[in-house]
Amino acid sequence: MSWDDFKQRYLIRFWAPLPAVLAAGVLSAYYFGITGTFWAVTGEFTRWGGHVLQWMGYHPENWAYFKIIHLDGTPLDRVDGMMIIGMFAGCLSAALWANNVKLRLPRHRIRIAQALCGGMIAGFGARMAMGCNLAAFFTGIPQFSLHAWFFALATAAGSWFGARFTMLPLFRVPLDLKKVSAATPLQQHASRARRHFRLGMLIFLLFILWAFGKSLITPKLGMAALFGLAFGLLIERAQICFTSAFRDLWLTGRSQMTKAILLGMAASTIGVYSYVQLGVAPKIMWAGPNAVLGGLLFGFGIVLAGGCETGWMYRAVEGQVHYWWVGLGNIIGATLLAAWWDRLGPLLANDYGKINLLVVFGPQGGLMLTYGLLALAMLAVMWWEKRFFSRKSEQGQTVKANA
Amino acid sequence: MTQIIPDFRLDMTGEPCPYPAIATLETMPQLQAGQVLEVISDCPQSINNIPQDASNHGYQVLDIQQDGPTIRYLIRR
Repeated sequence: MSWDDFKQRYLIRFWAPLPAVLAAGVLSAYYFGITGTFWAVTGEFTRWGGHVLQWMGYHPENWAYFKIIHLDGTPLDRVDGMMIIGMFAGCLSAALWANNVKLRLPRHRIRIAQALCGGMIAGFGARMAMGCNLAAFFTGIPQFSLHAWFFALATAAGSWFGARFTMLPLFRVPLDLKKVSAATPLQQHASRARRHFRLGMLIFLLFILWAFGKSLITPKLGMAALFGLAFGLLIERAQICFTSAFRDLWLTGRSQMTKAILLGMAASTIGVYSYVQLGVAPKIMWAGPNAVLGGLLFGFGIVLAGGCETGWMYRAVEGQVHYWWVGLGNIIGATLLAAWWDRLGPLLANDYGKINLLVVFGPQGGLMLTYGLLALAMLAVMWWEKRFFSRKSEQGQTVKANA
Repeated sequence: MTQIIPDFRLDMTGEPCPYPAIATLETMPQLQAGQVLEVISDCPQSINNIPQDASNHGYQVLDIQQDGPTIRYLIRR
């Protein structure tokens, strides 16, 4: 294969979601083994909100929530922080390679309101449940924490309401449909594509050097940055979207992303299990009403916003201004939750158990149960898909018969 | 490559997902059988939804062309 073939095939064209999600699942298990924590982003976004409050003269470090998630140092001193910087670098490199960075301005005011409100609801809900699509779903379920199952089911329900809500006429803009007699000429910007590709490569290589250097001094931080870079490449190149995995089941009956994510979790589960057997402590959170309520809010919020805490990251660096608002909303929502946690925590979380399936059912039992539930979820998705399309074709036939 | 001539164009530039895919599915039934719709989207995520949704719902995806941030889908009813 020549360089040009390779570049076109892997660096410019989008990747298929399934292999990319599987790779993310496997990498997240190694990430857990190396750093001792799971792949997660919202906790760090909440800390950013905490830093902003500190600059404004408040003392969020004394709040109960920041005592749980800690607010020490800067993002450069934290595993989560370095990983997120890596993710942004990975997303940006990948988007630049494919000449996919463009300032995309929202065309309608309602989208900005949607982005900001949805982002806030999602950020608030995610932190209430102690994690987003990652820590309370994609990397939470493989940690054998019961709360992740509560969260996942509640998110599915919340996203159903979100899907209904975002299809209301309020959010629908007039369609720009025209009769044409020729294809739109594609605008070639060859020089821009070349320039962006080189810039993307430069960022990619410099980041690797910097992260490698860092890993010689503080191994965990450097490795976290490198893993972040890989996660960023994967989510941007394959356009991995957790929101669509839930939402589009309800809207269009499409299940490709949902199935890919279930398989990704299956790949991750056995990896995390092996580290836990070697003595790494899994991250277990409260399986209380906070996980359910948080999941409902989160599911609704991500669909309203059009992307979750992970999804806005790559879309924001692609220049989709819509997602700058989603990101801002996430941080505001998460920080609000932290501010109210002193009251919400005792009510919704603190008195409930942190349930580790590997402890309750024994290591083998917990592992089998997790795979059983993942298989059940896969069957449920397949059943739903079949039902969706058989109902659709029935409807089509009724319409024809009436005509 | 033979040039495919579309009959209608749906310009969804600037709209985030899922709206480009939803609009595509809503527009397709307005076409006569055999007519071709050209969908223009600069939502990168549409790569994972417009082609799949179109074929899941019984339409034929003729071509996907990508020029940097802009993606063009040609779909036949």
